[in-house]
This record gives sequence, C-alpha cells and structure tokens, in this order.
Amino acid sequence: MLHLTARGQAHTCDGISRRDFLQIGALGALGLTLTDLVAAQAAGAVAKEHDDRNVILIFNLGAPSQIDTFDMKPDAPAEIRGPFKPISTNAAGIQISEIFPLHAKHADKFSLVRSCYHTAAAVHDTGHQMMQTGRLFTGGINTPHAGCALSFLRGRRSDLPAHVVLPEPMGPTGGNLPHGQDAGFLGKAHDPFALMADPSKADFKVPDLLPPPEIGEARLERRRKLRAIVDETVHNFEASDNAKLLDSNFEAAFRMMTSPQARAAFDLSKEPTAVRERYGMNRFGQCCLLARRLIEGGVRFVTVNTFLTVFNEITWDIHGSNPFTSIEGMRNIVAPMYDQAYTALLEDLGSRGLLEKTLVCNLAEFGRTPRVNPAGGRDHWPQCWTVYFAGGGVQGGRVIGASDRIGGVPAERPVEPAEIVATIYHSLGLDLESKLPGPQGRPFPLVDTGKHPIHELF
Amino acid sequence: MHVPLATGSALKEMSMKATRCISIFLIGFLAQHAAAQEELRLMPGKFVLGGPATSQRLVLEKFRGETAVAQVEDAQFSSSDPAVVKIEGNAALPLKNGTSVITAITGDQRATADVTVTGMDQPLTWSFRNHVESVLSKSGCNSGACHGALAGKKGFKLSLGAFDPDADYAYITRQARARRIVLSDPGRSLVLTKPTGAMPHKGGVRFAVDSPEYRVLADWIAAGAPGPRENDPRLRQLEILPVASILKPGAKQQLIVRAHFSDDHIEDVTRWVKFTSTNESVAQVSGDGLVQVSGHGEAAIKGWYLSSNVIATVTSPHVPQLPKETFASAERKNFIDELVLAKLEALNLPPSPPASDAEFLRRVFLDTIGVLPSVAEARAFLADSAPHKREKLIDELLGRPEFVDYWAYKWSDLLLVNSEKLRPAAMWSYYHWIRNSVASNKPWDQFAREIVTATGSTLENGAANFYVLHQDPPELAETVSVAFLGMSINCAKCHNHPLEKWTNDQYYGMANLFARVRSKEAEGEGNRVVFPVANGEWIQPRTGKAQSPRPLDGEPVAMDSEADRRVHLANWLTSPDNPYFSRAITNRVWANFFGAGLVENVDDLRLTNPPSNAALFGAAAKYLVDHKYDLKELMRAILRSATYARSSQPLPENASDARFYARYYPKRLMAEVLLDALSQATAAPSAFEDYASGTRAIQLPDVNVNSYFLKTFGRPLRAITCECERTAEPSMVQVLHLSNGDTVNQKLQTKGNRLEQQMAANQTSEQIVEEIYLAALSRFPTPDEKSRIVAAVNEAQANRREALEDVYWSVLSSKEFLFNH
Repeated sequence: MLHLTARGQAHTCDGISRRDFLQIGALGALGLTLTDLVAAQAAGAVAKEHDDRNVILIFNLGAPSQIDTFDMKPDAPAEIRGPFKPISTNAAGIQISEIFPLHAKHADKFSLVRSCYHTAAAVHDTGHQMMQTGRLFTGGINTPHAGCALSFLRGRRSDLPAHVVLPEPMGPTGGNLPHGQDAGFLGKAHDPFALMADPSKADFKVPDLLPPPEIGEARLERRRKLRAIVDETVHNFEASDNAKLLDSNFEAAFRMMTSPQARAAFDLSKEPTAVRERYGMNRFGQCCLLARRLIEGGVRFVTVNTFLTVFNEITWDIHGSNPFTSIEGMRNIVAPMYDQAYTALLEDLGSRGLLEKTLVCNLAEFGRTPRVNPAGGRDHWPQCWTVYFAGGGVQGGRVIGASDRIGGVPAERPVEPAEIVATIYHSLGLDLESKLPGPQGRPFPLVDTGKHPIHELF
Repeated sequence: MHVPLATGSALKEMSMKATRCISIFLIGFLAQHAAAQEELRLMPGKFVLGGPATSQRLVLEKFRGETAVAQVEDAQFSSSDPAVVKIEGNAALPLKNGTSVITAITGDQRATADVTVTGMDQPLTWSFRNHVESVLSKSGCNSGACHGALAGKKGFKLSLGAFDPDADYAYITRQARARRIVLSDPGRSLVLTKPTGAMPHKGGVRFAVDSPEYRVLADWIAAGAPGPRENDPRLRQLEILPVASILKPGAKQQLIVRAHFSDDHIEDVTRWVKFTSTNESVAQVSGDGLVQVSGHGEAAIKGWYLSSNVIATVTSPHVPQLPKETFASAERKNFIDELVLAKLEALNLPPSPPASDAEFLRRVFLDTIGVLPSVAEARAFLADSAPHKREKLIDELLGRPEFVDYWAYKWSDLLLVNSEKLRPAAMWSYYHWIRNSVASNKPWDQFAREIVTATGSTLENGAANFYVLHQDPPELAETVSVAFLGMSINCAKCHNHPLEKWTNDQYYGMANLFARVRSKEAEGEGNRVVFPVANGEWIQPRTGKAQSPRPLDGEPVAMDSEADRRVHLANWLTSPDNPYFSRAITNRVWANFFGAGLVENVDDLRLTNPPSNAALFGAAAKYLVDHKYDLKELMRAILRSATYARSSQPLPENASDARFYARYYPKRLMAEVLLDALSQATAAPSAFEDYASGTRAIQLPDVNVNSYFLKTFGRPLRAITCECERTAEPSMVQVLHLSNGDTVNQKLQTKGNRLEQQMAANQTSEQIVEEIYLAALSRFPTPDEKSRIVAAVNEAQANRREALEDVYWSVLSSKEFLFNH
C-alpha cells in the first residue's frame, strides 16, 4: 500500500519513498547493476518471478483485416468473405487465410484470440494507445507502454537498453493523438531506445553508436570531464525534465557506445546470409532478426512496428483507395513479407531455446469492416479483430474466443485491450497489482482492477 | 470578476470587453485582498421551480470575493413556507405556486435564497429532446461503447451523445416494429425492462425502477411518447456553480449545473450532466458532480449536457503561504506582469528573480530571430551601461533580417510548405509569399484573409497553393480551423463534437463554404489556377443535403448567392468579434517566447481545455486586436514584460510550475535553430544539397531537405497541420549524434573554422576559452571554469588542437548551449 505524506511524497509500505522508487527506476534505464537489482528486489520493488522472460511485440500498424487473415468466414456472402480462401494448418481444427502459407506450418506454436474489441473512436491512434498501454488516454494522463513499465520495474539487464523499438516509433496515422509508444507519466527516462535506421539497408549501422576513429578513449574521457565543468556553473535546469533527461541520455549513451556487447548485438553482419534471407531482405524481416539478436543480447522488450504510417505506404490499412492500400497490395506485398519474417522468427527463437522465455505477440489497433467497401477494401472496425501469441509460456494451437458469423462482433469471450496488456505482464511474471508512480505521486495500478490475463493461452 | 457563462458568446463578450474585464478583475482582486472577508452564500441565490417535476439542489458555500473557498458540509436547510417549497435532503422541491425563502444554517451563520414556484397547475410533460435524451446520455445508452456506436448494439442504435434527436426518436419508437415502447403499458417497454435488468441486457443495469431516470422514461411513454418538436425550448447555455473555487487537498465540493433554455426557463440539470476532470492529479470528480481535491495546482472540471460543455475551475494553492510582499514587490512593466502575478499570488507560487543581462541577451536573440548574438554583440551588450539597453535591443531585433527567416519558417511549418506535395516552383512561390508577408509585417488578419480567399496562378499568388495542398472541402474546413482558429473540428465530421459546442451541422456548414473552389492545370511546371465557381454544394452524409454555408457559429450565406463564399468566411474569421481567431495566433506567438502556450497544446483551443490564465489570455488577444493584428506589437509587449525577463532558475517553491510563468522555462532549441547555432558558434556553416553554401537551416523553404541532424532533433514533416509534428524532447539518439555523429565533430574540423582562426591569430588558451563561451553561451567563463578548462588543455601539451576541439565539444554539448534558458 502507498500513502501520501503532507509533502505529496508517496511511500510504499516498506518505506521506499517515491523519489527512491523513481531513482531505482531511473537507474534501471541507465544500467542498474546486479547488486542494485538484488537490493531493489529485496526491498520488494521488483518482482523476482520470470525475470528471464522477454517480449517481442509486433505491432501490425494499419490493422489487418480479421476476415482476410485469421478469422475467415467462408460461408458468409461474397461481400463479407472477401477474395481469399481458408487453408488448413498443422494445428487441428484451425484454418487461416491462404495468404499465410508459412503461418499454416507453425500454427501449433501460436494461439489466436479471435474476439478482441475496443470501444473508443475508430482512429488508429486510440487503438495504439490501448493495445500498448492497456488504457485510453484521458484526464491528461498518458499511461506507459508495457515495455516502458517493464523498463521501470525491472531496469536494464545488460549495457543495452531495457526496451528497444524497431525500426522507428510510429509516425502520423491521422488521429493526431499520442500512440502510447513511450513511457508517459513514468518519464522519458523510460522511453524506448529507437533504432532510427533500416536494418535491411546494405550500409546499415546504428546511427552514431561509435565515436569517429580520431576520438579515442582518452579523448572521450576528457570530453566527459570538460562537459561536467561547463555544466556545473549554471543551475537553471534543475526543474526542467527535458534537461534532466538530457543528462541521463548522455550517461546511457556513453554506456552503450563503450560496450562491446551492445555493439555486437546490433551487428547484423555477424548473421549468416542464409539466416538473413530466411527472414527476408526487407525492413520488417531484418527488424525481426535484429529483435532476436537484441533479446539474446539482454534487451527485455522489443517493439517491432511493421509499418510506420498509413499514408503513401503499402500497409495493412486496406481502405482500397489512395493514399491507403488495396486488398491486392496486402496480398501481393504485405502478406508474403510478413508471413516469411514472422515464421522465421518463431523457428529461430525455437531452435535457440529462446521461445519458451520470449512472448511473441502480434497486435493491431483494430479490425476491418466485415463488408467490403465500394473501393474493394475494408475500413476501420474496432468492434472485433484477431490478435495472436506465441512463446513466453503460451500454449500453441489454440483458438480463444470467437466472432459472430460475419466477423463483426465477439460472439464468445470478448477480450479488451487491457486484458491483452495484462497477458503480456502475466507472461513476464509481473505482479499485476503492483503500483506505478502516477502523476503527482498518485499510485497507479499496473493494470486496472478487474482486468485479467487471458489465462486460456497458458 | 464576473461569473462568466462558458459559451462562445460569453467568450466573445469577454474578449470584447477585456479591458473592463481586467479592470474588474483587478478591482476584485484588490478588494479581495483589502477585505479578505469570508461570506456565506446559498447557491443558487435565487431560482424558479417551474412545475411539478422540478427540483433544485442546494449548496451552502463560503466565498472570498467571487471565489468559493469551502462548501459547508453540515448545512441545515429550511423553507419559510413549507406548503410552497419543501426541503428533501439538500434539494428544494415545489408543492404549489407561490414564493418561499430557503434558509441555510451552519453554527450561528446563515444565508438565504428566494424561490418562486410556478407552473404547478400545468400538467407534467417531459420533452423528448431535452429530458428523454438527457436520460439516455447520462445513463451511457448512447455512448460510443454502447448503442451510440456507428453500428449500434444488438440492432439498437442511438445517435452518439444524442446529437440527432429525430433519428433517435425514430429508432426508439418506430424501429424493430415499435416494440421498444409499449404505450398502453409503459413498464413493459424494452427501453425500461432492459436498462433496469428486468430483461437480460448486455450493458448491465443502468438505473433502478424507482429512479428519476425510470420516471422520466415511463412518464414520457405514458404521455404517448411525443417526439421532438420544432418549438421545443433549446438549450442556450449552461451555468456551473461555483465557477471558480480555491480549495485545499482533501476538500470536497459539490457542483451545480443549471441549464438556461430559449424560453427563459432554467433547470437544475446536475443529475444529467456528465462530469470529467481535465487534471486528475489535482482534482477528481464523481458522476454526480462531487469534486475531490487531491493535489496542488489547477484543474478544470468539465460538465457536458445536451452537446454543450461548461467548465468550473478548481485552484489548489501551493503551500506554505507566502507573505504578500513576495508578489507586491515583483516588478510590473505592463498588463502581462499584472495578470501573471495575480495568478501566481492566487496559486501561491513566487516569481523567480530577474534574469542576468547575458541570459536575457541570448534568450531574446534565440526566441525572436533564431540566431545567437555574435561575440561582438555579446561583448557590447554586456559592457553597455545604458538604462534602456534591453528595450533598444528588442526594437532592433524586431527589425533584423533574421527575424524574417525565423518567422517565415514558423509560418511555413503552419502552412505545410513542402516540396513533396508541391512542385519546386510552386513550393518556392508559396514560401516567398509567406516570406514577403513577414518582411512587410503584414497584419495577421490580412495574412489569413489572403490565404483563405486566394485565387489565381499558384506561381503568381503563392497563397493559392493552400488550395493545391488541400482540396476536399472537409479537409479545408479542418485545416483552416486548426491553422487560424487553433482548434480541431474533426470530431464533428461524424457527430457532434464531444468536447466542444460544434455540431455535425456546423461542420458541414463550414465545409460547404469551400464547395465552390476549383483548380486546374496551367502552363508552367507546378502551375495551377485556383478559382471560385458559382455553383456546387458539399453534401452532409447524415441528412443527404447540403448545410447552408456558414462559418461555424457565424451567419450563413444564402445558398443561391453567387459571391465567393470564402470572402464571407474571411470576414467572419478575421472579425475583431471572433474570439477564436485572435486567441489562436496570440497563443502561437506566446508559446514561441514562453515555451508553454496559455493553452496547451498550442493548437488545441477548446472550451474544455481552458487556458492557464484566462484573464491574461483575453487581455493578450485583445491587445493584438487593438494593435490591428500587428504581431510585432504583441511580441514587443511580451519581450518588454518582466515576466519574460525572469530567470529560469527555479525557486524551491516554484520548481513544480510549468504553466503559470513563475519563471522562464528552459527549452531545447528547435532543430533548425540548434543546427544554425552550432554553425555559428564554430564558424563552420552546414551544407544542404541544392542550396547555396551559407544557407542556414532556418532559411530553408522546405522540410524535404535531407538532414539527419534535423530529422533526429525533431523537424516536422509538414504533412498535417499540427504543432504536434515538431518535437523538442531529448532522446538518446540525439545524444549519440552529438557525441559521435558527423555534425559537431565535422564542424570542429572544418577548414577555417573559429578554432583555426583563433589558433592562427595566436590566441592564448584563455582567450580561446573566453571567445567560445561568448560565441556559444553569450557570457564570459567564470574564473573557475576558465582555470580548470585551461589546465586540461595544458595537460594535453603535444596535441593542443585536439584538446581545444574537446573544449568546444564540451561547450556545444552542454545543457547551457542546447537549451534556451
């Protein structure tokens, strides 16, 4: 339990003040040492269970059509069922769309939830908020992305950041709202590290990870010392969050650029060509491969954005007309790329023994209209869609929930975004009742009361 | 301070009478401090109960001046004529026509309210439009999660937030073979059996059988379920009590909302209002309007009823109480200081002391013209002992050529100048139009008018490119609203705006103003001709008809008029009576200098997102109108204020302030200004492909210019009109680039850069350090800094150049450099 003292400082029952709590968190992002971590665990601030668990969150920005992918309605009228046929998979009784032939060979590893829905406005951004933070932003309170909450609660595990987003954060998707892809009220110290580069490019490297050759270790050290002298004189920045963050960014950056382990994790040239090609030599494919390397290197949470915007790019956003995507664009370009990379990731994680401790979840902001629109596409539909999970304790080959006969609304076991995020926390072994320090020290539950993980998955 | 009713017309009135407002505010403020006496009031002080089903909630409140300071929780209420008005709990209920006086007592104090009861001889009637729809809204039936969803729920659809009563009436009484209501036996109606749980309802139990909600619906059905009528009284405005309160953490405050209707009757609608808090860390509010204060600062409580919104402000001053002297002694140079200090005193936030000359110099250069003062300028200003040197500097800066670069860039952001969407010739034409407008100090109303009414060749009239970038009437309506009114009306495209008063009809009225703009290809690359035509309408999907062309809450134009509708829009837009227009631009200019808009975000002006200082916002916007939309005059007032010239160093008591201007808020330099500052400090210009060497980043007309630095430090894409496109948040990626990237490191090695010049001139290490401090930070190094840095350079011996490069790097990566402070 937390209580508020007169000065507005929150204390946990074991006497850790919010300030301490924050410091533990902040240190985490910047490289909490193992001893510190143990001390924090002893103090009860960090849960111990499943500390070796990781998450790869593949966010299918744009939002795939449930009916054309994982929740086919072959018996519905043509204007509902769309152009694709179902195919059988290696999991008994599960059929998926013919556009995912490779998925069909791995259905025993993942489980579908066919009854996800949300009730906010049908713009991309609201779904991004809810699916990544578990909540819709209201009252000026921006809740943290699940990976940022994890970064806060467990800190980093190696010289690499706790949470990395590949290849870049989501860009504009039309709603002008935040996407729920940062640390929100936990403070920007827990924002994910964004790669800001395309790993499929021949000259790919993490931008500016290494100092130029003329700056050796001695000069780096001198620069740090001199910068400290300049920064000591003026004290006008004490109350500026952005200025404090700049300092912590400098520390974290220094740690990463001086760590051979961190550099190696980002080095895709260490992968055999066959492996790179198995993932697909495109941005999404190589991001999935990089996600695996980062997990191996000690990153706890990797968010892979399949796409960065819905404008002027071939994505899942199949309205059927420009600047959006057509249903053929999805079949010919998006689906093959996606099918290849995702299944490569499952195989690769599996063969390295990483799948058991790495939850791979494939989420999207909503589904699409059961009825094909006049442009031959489908529009936004938050009333019902499919998400799926593998690894991290999830049993494959299952279907949880069901939609009605046209894929329009959940017919069984409706699942809301808060339950998806609770499922992620559950796989990570986090105590769902733990509290985050909310705005002005108000204790904020990790998950709202009454929101449970989807236990049928485990 | 009067009690403003939060409506558009009240805002307009406030804006027009801002001077009076301010003087009243100041008088009220002074009176309040002279007397500081508490007074007990019964709210509402006078009211009418107009018929059998009416009631009025009562609250006994302590006031200081016009500000509520505490609700009396143990108040006892009594009626002087219990045969006319009876008291039930904390509500007054009518029994027969007549008058009565309600008395509220606490301890030995009392307050009264006069009540008139009328209409008890009239039969009880519930209106579908006003009462039934309110019940459906408050019970959540028509929310987006339930039957208000686009597709309805379980075959039953209602309009979201009851924005379409005619449709709702049809849904309820006609659809599903009219089985939702049973006129002969109202209790069997589905609209009663479902929400009370008598029949299975996915949405759960919404109200009980003995609730007022049930009674309204049941009585209405029993009366034959009359539909919405043209002559129904319409809601004119909402009133909330108390509209402003100062409360402590832990305090509770019951709000009362009264609806004023077009037939002049007033109803207590508190029960039907949906309440939310805009700042839950300061105050929360329950469904029935009980506010609970939990933190320090300010929160706005929003009440929504029948598509209208009303705001009550709850202020929770910081502790401990500061002496009056703290505020009385602070410098006041103009109205900005008066109004900022009044707010700070109300919140008990002390102002930081004045900034030093060096801080002021660097700050005013960066904020006004986007460049650093040169070494010579810094030396001269710091040495100048003239008393009015700051005023003189301000006037000079407002006339500098770099002023044009900087502000042309800002307005190019706003208007999305971008060669990805426009051919180069058109892009240049658009940019030059903006640039020339800034250079000639074109008043903002004229600037907006020329954009909105633009016609002709896009190469000859750059403003016409606005109609190339945006072509579809709804998009034009939305873009004009964001750019020039600072507000998003997008929600109203599908339904009434839930957070504003804008309706779906108003949205399509606004869109229809653009239905007669056309453009066609013309000779020359990127050339299009924009022209108005005499016919064409934009159809509103909901009604299948065109709304009469009308600028939001302005007057409509006749459908059959062949005049360019955009002229009518421009007249409304730029009228001094339009409060939104002057406020939007005032807020943008304000945010540029203070780092935080009076409304945040800058382009999110809406009733339910109130300014941090309403009196100041009104006064600043009025100042701009009074000065004929001359932005430089507003800038001058801002720059001359003591508020702008405050130190950014926080005091322990104001460190938490980020909205009320107790100090100057340090802000990271915007991407383009930062890159230019790096070039200037190192005397090593940046190169941009296809642009003449020496072109500064802020002089680029276009964002479609390759620069990793600018992208990483938050340059906007200019894809959508939204301040949110630009970000100033530091990230690790930026830090990696400063440390290892090719921007700073390359500038340190550029031939002929400042360091090389210094070394060629055989400057001592002391001189070199002093100059880079002046060039980058606009100040002299302290003796301690100088000696420690020089010592480090001397240690390096053999490689002095490298050591000096590292000194430069350290200055250029310091917070003091990266931030304007």
